[in-house]
Amino acid sequence: MSRFGAKKGRKLPGAEFTWEASDPSGEPDTAPTPLFPKYTVPRARPLTATEQLQVDLYRTLRERFHDGPYYSILEGAASASKKDSAARASFDPFHGMPSYSGKYVKKKRALPRILGRQYVMKFFPRELWGTIQPSFKPDAAMDGYVPQGARAGVKRGFEDDEEEEDEETAKRTKTGEEGEGAEGDDDGEGDILDEEEEGQGEEEIEDDDFEDDDDEMGGDYNAEQYFDGGDDEYGDDGFGDGGGGGDEDTY
Amino acid sequence: MTSQYAAELCALLVEDNFGELFARIFSTLQRYDRLSLPRLKFYSRLSDRQLRHGLAAMIQHHLVYHYTSYDDGVTYYQPNLQAAYYLVRSGKILEFIQERLGKYAATLMATIMFLGHAQVGYLETLPELQPEQPKTNGVNGEAEGEKTEEQMNGHDEHSEQPALLHPTLKALASHGYIFRVRDAQFQSYADNALDAERAIKSRPDVKQLKGKKLDETVLEGTVTLLKERLDGDLTRGLMHNGLPRGAKRRHANGSMDAPNKRSRVDYAADEDEEEEENEWSDDDMGGDTTPMELGMVVRVNYEKLDVALRNRRFLDLAELSSSPATRQVYECLLRRIEYQTKQCRDSAEIPREGEEGEQYSVPIALSALTEEVDPQLDLTGSIGPMEISQPVNRRGKRPLEDSVNGTDRDGSDAPSRTYEIDQHLSLLSQPPYNLTSKRMLSGLITWTVEFRHLARKLRHLELERMIEARYGDVALRVIRVLHAKGKLDEKRLQEISLLPFKDLRQVLASMQAGGFVDLQEVPRDAQRQPSRTIYLWFYDPDRIRNSILEDTYKAMSRCLQRLRFERNRLKEFLEKTERSDVKGNEERYLSQAELTLLDQWKSKEALLLGEVARLDEMVAVMRDY
Repeated sequence: MSRFGAKKGRKLPGAEFTWEASDPSGEPDTAPTPLFPKYTVPRARPLTATEQLQVDLYRTLRERFHDGPYYSILEGAASASKKDSAARASFDPFHGMPSYSGKYVKKKRALPRILGRQYVMKFFPRELWGTIQPSFKPDAAMDGYVPQGARAGVKRGFEDDEEEEDEETAKRTKTGEEGEGAEGDDDGEGDILDEEEEGQGEEEIEDDDFEDDDDEMGGDYNAEQYFDGGDDEYGDDGFGDGGGGGDEDTY
Repeated sequence: MTSQYAAELCALLVEDNFGELFARIFSTLQRYDRLSLPRLKFYSRLSDRQLRHGLAAMIQHHLVYHYTSYDDGVTYYQPNLQAAYYLVRSGKILEFIQERLGKYAATLMATIMFLGHAQVGYLETLPELQPEQPKTNGVNGEAEGEKTEEQMNGHDEHSEQPALLHPTLKALASHGYIFRVRDAQFQSYADNALDAERAIKSRPDVKQLKGKKLDETVLEGTVTLLKERLDGDLTRGLMHNGLPRGAKRRHANGSMDAPNKRSRVDYAADEDEEEEENEWSDDDMGGDTTPMELGMVVRVNYEKLDVALRNRRFLDLAELSSSPATRQVYECLLRRIEYQTKQCRDSAEIPREGEEGEQYSVPIALSALTEEVDPQLDLTGSIGPMEISQPVNRRGKRPLEDSVNGTDRDGSDAPSRTYEIDQHLSLLSQPPYNLTSKRMLSGLITWTVEFRHLARKLRHLELERMIEARYGDVALRVIRVLHAKGKLDEKRLQEISLLPFKDLRQVLASMQAGGFVDLQEVPRDAQRQPSRTIYLWFYDPDRIRNSILEDTYKAMSRCLQRLRFERNRLKEFLEKTERSDVKGNEERYLSQAELTLLDQWKSKEALLLGEVARLDEMVAVMRDY
């Protein structure tokens, strides 16, 4: 294919603007690149005294964070794993057995421990106040601050179905979380906190259940039709006087 | 700094410091940016309890912004990338504080960092800030005798403990290294700006305005209101004649004491510091003994610390080309300026190259500087003879003339000393760096530092260093030519840089592949024929700065990932060393092989973390200064 009437022996126009670094003026280099080219690995300079000090200070601070109340991991708290599936399957029979020296092993937290120091409440959003201070009652006025009613009922149309989904997942995680909480207790840390928090959690669960009952049973159960619905069937039997389960029990 | 690698790096840093739960919350927030609690729960797949506790703790550490909107009462959470990034700089900051204000101040700073923000009253109760702490550590498992002794001391310990804590806190506060926490700091800047704007707009006098005037008033009002709300500055009340507390003493004592004291602090920290505290309170003023308000909440002021670290960087630059005495004079000037500089620059982003106006620092009068400089510092030794005023260093002839000059000047000491300091500063003001600049303010000689120019210079030096390391000195020459001359034709470039055609081509092509230079086509006719087109090479420092910044973030996060991998490889062993019985007495419980392994691991970790710290230095130059 000839372009721009290229003649033999002459370069294509634009060839001088080739991208090849190796041969700027001549033909493009089509030879294969070497398989394992020599490569000089750059090496970092050793740390100076100041840098070493900086690193040490960083490490000390990090160590402190790790030993502190907030460092928490996700393992074991992975709510996705059920009691006897994933967690059991990956159990290491050689190192996983509890041993005497296990009591020295550093305990790991699954939840940051919030209690044990004072907080400035006004720096936190209202919905976390209950977490920071378990004694906090959401309805009571605090420091003369009158709570405005949470306008949770107002939904902005577009997130309706998503929210339902949310509730479902929330329920699921909550039930998972109970098992977890028990495990946390086994570890023997954050005990006071756990109990109180659990109480709170359960309340919420009840709430949810109640609502859900409404939703699910709504089709089956209708209080207004309680007598009417039954009467048709039992009336035929001739036991028309009572109607309902109570009478049948006496049989 | 919202890019893929910056986000990755921040998440890694959070994980390295605070564990997986924080990291999960943080990275979820980063991915979706602004979430309410139910949404966050949905995306992060964490339990309600985990989320609530995690978020509370993260807010305590300023890692998460929160904002409760007025319209629907829903609280939204947002990641605070800046705070997460600054986790990497903690080592550097602590080291700096330790050097500047002593070991106890560094401990205090570390404690504040550890707590996120802290009430002064709470700091008072912490055991690690009690002055007796180092002693008990040193004694360790020894006899009871020591303990009773301490108990005897215990009575006055209570009286002297706040005396140590509060002056140190005050010193930190007056330097501006810590500041007061305000409510608004927990919301992101955009939220604050919107809030302030709303507040201004609802004012009755603003409501009557219209059009352009309205916009102007709103903008102006927003800025002032924001400043007012975010401002946690503590330095104002604590400055004493323009000097922060605890700063003056060092020079007043003279140079002989300074190194001496530093070494003393290292081993016998407590007693000496008590002494010093007394010195402080006697020295400065009576008001020093009044403690800080107990209810005040303080946190680390990273912006100010950036200023301090930047000055340090300039000092290193000055040290390259001048004598130690000059460096010390410069240090005094920079420190004086630092006291009055709140942040590295006024705008949030670094302005584009060439569009940046010069922003001079506060001018410092020469006379004030003369007081500041250590009186025993040998100023004459490192500059040329005084009679012939010459700015350039003439090292060869110095010793002989020096002694003559020295005896001459002993009689009239003060004025000549001022003159000498002036000489040192004009030495610094010479090209190529122009580290200082002189101005006359109503007849007074003052010295300033052109920070924007210098910050730019630092950036260029960094880029040039990198180019030289990657492509060699020929490339460096080409880059410098392009930078000085702007866009250049290949032929002109060759003429100016005096390089053979082939070398130039090679170097340009490889640099273009690396993204450091680029080509612009300027067609001479409408057909855009290659033969009738001019090709201009150019070098755009802004563009390169951004890409380098990205690369640096990436390199840092790769370092941290590598560190995590290495740690996983040694997981069993490291867990063993962290056992509560092993920790602290490794020699007793670990075998020889294990001890060497532990040493190796420590140096490996130090190397990787050190590398991250170096890269952070680059990020600071490219982004923060």
